[in-house]
Amino acid sequence: MLIKILLILAVVLLILLFLRHHGKSNTAAGVKIGFAVFMVFGVVAVLLPNAVSEIANFVGVGRGTDLLLYGLVVAFGFATINTFLRFKELELRYAKLVRAVALQNSTVPEEKAPEPSDA
Amino acid sequence: MILRQDLTVLEDFVAEWSDVWLVVPVYNEAQVIGDVVRHARQTFPNIVCVDDGSADASAERIHEAGAHLVRHPVNLGQGAAIQTGVSYAKSRPGAKYFVTFDADGQHQVDDVVRMLKRLQAEELDIVVGTRFLAGADTSHIPLLKRLVLKTVVMLSPRTRRLGLTDAHNGLRVFNRTVADTLNITINGMGHASEFVELIDHHHWKVAEESVTILYTEYSMAKGQSLINGVNIVFDSVMRTGSRH
Repeated sequence: MLIKILLILAVVLLILLFLRHHGKSNTAAGVKIGFAVFMVFGVVAVLLPNAVSEIANFVGVGRGTDLLLYGLVVAFGFATINTFLRFKELELRYAKLVRAVALQNSTVPEEKAPEPSDA
Repeated sequence: MILRQDLTVLEDFVAEWSDVWLVVPVYNEAQVIGDVVRHARQTFPNIVCVDDGSADASAERIHEAGAHLVRHPVNLGQGAAIQTGVSYAKSRPGAKYFVTFDADGQHQVDDVVRMLKRLQAEELDIVVGTRFLAGADTSHIPLLKRLVLKTVVMLSPRTRRLGLTDAHNGLRVFNRTVADTLNITINGMGHASEFVELIDHHHWKVAEESVTILYTEYSMAKGQSLINGVNIVFDSVMRTGSRH
C-alpha cells in the first residue's frame, strides 16, 4: 500500500518539475503529450496492476512487469537521444558565445618587420 | 645601408602574400608555436593564432612572435578554433585567401605557397593537402596511421566521389567564397569530415596538392591518438542522421 502512495507522489513531483520548466524549455509538443500520457499510465498502473497485465497479454507480452521493462528501455533510449541532441545544440550556442567573446578581445601585434629566425 | 636594402627586399617579398591569412589553431603549444609563427612570418605577413584556452604560455609566445591573437576563454576544440580564426581573418581588410595551418610545425610553408599558386592559377575554391597522391612516398608516415587514414577515406563515399585521398589533412588553402560560407559546427576533431561535407554540399571546386607532413617526435607525442578516430566517425554518423 505504501508503495502506491510513494509512486503516485513521485509522479506528481515529476509533473510539478515538468511544469516549472514549462515556459523555459522549447520541448516539442509531441514530447509533452507523450509525457502526459506516461503520467496517466503511471497512476493507472499503480492503482490497477491487473490492467497492466491485461494490456501486456493483449499485445503479446507475458507479464505486466515485462511490458513495463520494455517500455522503460524505449523511454530511456528516447531520453538519452533527446539529451544528446540538446547537449549538441547547447555546445553550438556555447561555441558561438565563446567565439564572440574571443573576437572582441583579439590582440593585434605591434607593427614591426618580421624578424629572422633559425627555425 | 645593406641592412636597409635587405629590409626593402624583405618587404617586397612580404607584400606578395599580403592578401593571405594563415589561421593557426593553438592548444598548449608554447614549446613550438613561437618558432612556427616566426618561420611562417618570413613568407606570410598575416597570421592569426587562435589560442583555444591553452593552460600554458602559448598566448605570450604567439604575441611575441608577431601574430594576431584571438583567445577562446575556454577550450572548445580544433574545429571551433579554425572557425573563429577564419571569422577573424575575413573581417580584416584585404583578406582574400585563407590557409588552415597546424601549430605543431608539421606543415611546410613551401607547400602553402604551392597550393596558393595553384588555387590562383586554376581558379579553384579550395585546395586540400594530401599525403597519399598516387606515387607519393608515404614511408615516413607511421604504418598504423597510414592504414587508419586510408580506411577512413575508403569508408567515406563522399570523399571518394570528390576524388580526395586524404580527408584528414589539416593543411587547406581556400578563397573568400569558401570563407564566407564556412560554418564549422563540429567543435572537435571531426571538423575535417565536415569540411569535406561542405565542399560537396556547396559544390566548391576542389583539388588536392601533395604535401609533406613532418612527423617530429613533438608532433607525434601531441598528435591525436588513433582511438580518437572512433569519436570522429561517431560525430559524422550523428551529423548525417540529424541532417536528413
